Amino acid sequence: MASTSASAIEGTVTERRGIPAAAFVEDVQTYLSQSGLDANSALAFFQERLQQYRVVEMKLLAQQRDLQAKIPDIEKCLDVVAALQAKKGTGEALLADFEVSEGIYSRARIEDADSVCLWLGANVMLDYSCEEATALLQKNLENAKASLEVLVADLQFLRDQVTITQVTIARVYNWDVHQRRTRQAIVTTES
Amino acid sequence: MQQAGSSGSEMEVTWEDQQKINQFSRLNNRFHELEDEIKLAKETNDNLEDASNELILTDDDIVRFQIGEVFAHIPKDEVETRIEQMKEVTSKNLEKLEEEKESIVAQMDELKKILYGKFKDSINLEED
Repeated sequence: MASTSASAIEGTVTERRGIPAAAFVEDVQTYLSQSGLDANSALAFFQERLQQYRVVEMKLLAQQRDLQAKIPDIEKCLDVVAALQAKKGTGEALLADFEVSEGIYSRARIEDADSVCLWLGANVMLDYSCEEATALLQKNLENAKASLEVLVADLQFLRDQVTITQVTIARVYNWDVHQRRTRQAIVTTES
Repeated sequence: MQQAGSSGSEMEVTWEDQQKINQFSRLNNRFHELEDEIKLAKETNDNLEDASNELILTDDDIVRFQIGEVFAHIPKDEVETRIEQMKEVTSKNLEKLEEEKESIVAQMDELKKILYGKFKDSINLEED
């Protein structure tokens, strides 16, 4: 890939978690002469970069959707454990209707709940006391929220790079059009 | 999606301009996210409203209230309290979202003025 370091601004991030930053072009003329590219090659390079950014964006958006689905799930589990704990003290049983199959519900009578089983994934389910379950679920919730924050920051960074690349493409293209027009004007005045 | 496009003229773009364009893009993305979130929050609010109205009409002492994936049998009064709490949380959330949306619209208008001022026709910041 052509070197863009000559036109890069000092002190900015050059990449973030594997995503290369788009170097800002101060002056199109200088950039093209320093990199030794003509306008078309430069445009092709930027278009390719844009495609790569799009691929990464798709991946990050998919991860974001997964996390955004996971968080309400964990919160629901916390609600259930809290409800069980609340009933524990009273000595009453908790009656709950649950779905056995689509459209078919059954009634469950839950007496004093000392422990709950948590599905950990990979066909593993473990027994926990209510307090331990709440602690584990709470920790998972916090991790999920922290991951989501990092992901959102990554997406913002990525979108900035996409915008910079789009603007650079437009400027190189316009510069090229401008050059052709000036050359045309010179040719016509000479002939 | 809004784009920054130029139409054939030789325009100087500084790093500050680029950062303003980036900022505008971020705000615009957040604006659309907020619109979706506000729509969801309004729906939740309406659902809670309907639920509490139904509750007033029902004669049962025990109501099946959804916790997680199951419907727990809970006394009507407790359900009323829970729904009131949920309604409060949702309306506070909705208020916060609306405020954020207003602030973003104001910031975007500011940036539009500045960017159109410098670039005039060379830039397009409208929704297509």
